[in-house]
Amino acid sequence: MMANRIPIREGVFMESPDGGTLLANKCKSCGQIFFPKAVLCLSCFNEDMEELKLSRMGKLYSYTIGYMPSMHFEPPYAIGYVDMPEGVKIFAQLKMTTDKPFKIGMDMEVVIEKLWQEDDSEIIGYKFKPV
Amino acid sequence: MREVAVIGVGQSTFGKFPQRSAVELGREAVIAALKDAGVKPKDIQVAYTSRLYDIGTMAQSILKEVGIACIEMINVENACAGGATAFRGVWKDIATGLYDIGIAIGVESMTTSPIARKLIPPAKDDLEGQLGLTMPGIFAILARRQMEQYGATVEDFAMISVKNHHHGCLNPFAQYRKEFTVEEILNSRMICDPITLLQCCPNTDGAAVAILCSSKIARKYTSKPIKVIGSALLSGDYRYHQEDITISPLGSKTAKMAYEMAGVGPEDIDLVELHDAFANEEMLRYEELGLCKPGEGVRLVRDRSTWVGGKIPVNPSGGLLALGHPLSASGVRNIAEIVWHLRGQAGERQTPNAKVGLAHMLGGAVAGLEAGACGIHILAR
Repeated sequence: MMANRIPIREGVFMESPDGGTLLANKCKSCGQIFFPKAVLCLSCFNEDMEELKLSRMGKLYSYTIGYMPSMHFEPPYAIGYVDMPEGVKIFAQLKMTTDKPFKIGMDMEVVIEKLWQEDDSEIIGYKFKPV
Repeated sequence: MREVAVIGVGQSTFGKFPQRSAVELGREAVIAALKDAGVKPKDIQVAYTSRLYDIGTMAQSILKEVGIACIEMINVENACAGGATAFRGVWKDIATGLYDIGIAIGVESMTTSPIARKLIPPAKDDLEGQLGLTMPGIFAILARRQMEQYGATVEDFAMISVKNHHHGCLNPFAQYRKEFTVEEILNSRMICDPITLLQCCPNTDGAAVAILCSSKIARKYTSKPIKVIGSALLSGDYRYHQEDITISPLGSKTAKMAYEMAGVGPEDIDLVELHDAFANEEMLRYEELGLCKPGEGVRLVRDRSTWVGGKIPVNPSGGLLALGHPLSASGVRNIAEIVWHLRGQAGERQTPNAKVGLAHMLGGAVAGLEAGACGIHILAR
């Protein structure tokens, strides 16, 4: 039987054949961008927001490797912030590679994949991996 | 606003006591504070209590043990800043003239909590918590930026832990009363790279209490009332406003409010107790509190100014690192430490001729915000 795939949050990412994109929103009045989407502009309180597809690549702002379990992840796992060209900092799991150790400023690309298992459902979300 | 004074403080021993209930720990600290204040249970008019893990009418449960019931009681939570929030609650009620005498209690039983022996997570529904963020994780991410931006080294971070553990040796209440070397700190178990176990506060159970009253009646109870000259509590601003995560607008704004209210500046402060849940953050607080210029936190660590005996002792109690961190208790406990120094009662940890002290507490990780809350109190004799 196919496992249920449940997104970690609605409307936060879009899957496509080339990988996937994160979905932010932007205030039509002052231009402030929010990820995850904000219900109304948190800067000017305007309620007229438009969806914005974020770039697929950003730069690693900072990271750490966890050696004790977090809520859903067994160690070792990497987490960090990625600076997106749109001016938002995104917190996410980072995919560890053997040949590309993390370095502040390195290029990172978004991937959409399973985050963790919950009973017979897969919780799907976003991670970043070194380019 | 009326002037408010602290007339009594008390704390339980801090350590791992899974056999002792939070009520027992709270009772121990309340009895100590009532004795210290020379106040009778029936004199207390209002109570604020803070506890994070396992809530449920804690003020009532603790105070009924000592004959205090049927008064106004409020139970508050603000993560690690809960104790500071409880203290401020009492301060506010007296300063605004609602009551004359009140009690602030902070208590936490970490060893019997759902997160015992685990990493402290944000709230259950928090997106970043679900994505893998924990308290050590945030601070490790911060540490890496400190190394990148300020030339801080892991040895600098370890030195802060060495200092605070040295101070713990001077404190009979401390959970850890052992000297450590930089090497021992760095070789302890890795938690979230580069933060090792001995750079993290331990799981601690404990309680701390402060009794406050209107300055007008303080002399009835003590010859050494300690005035609350500054009190500020703010919540974190949006993360999207924060270009540089090592610079906390929350910390500096709260400090500014407290200093302005107190009519003093950082140069007037004789000692500081601040949030050192993770060794690396302590040097950032030096900058937020104005103890040194921005970017100079590393220098202040290296020149040992913040050791007991130094120019501006920071965490002479041993801090959260060595004395321990029962989350909601710490915000009251660190005010108690300031009070002891200002009264000349801090034993081997004493800051000579201390006249003005600052207690800082920080709490909470919330996705999308720079932090949960920051509470700062400035006290003077």
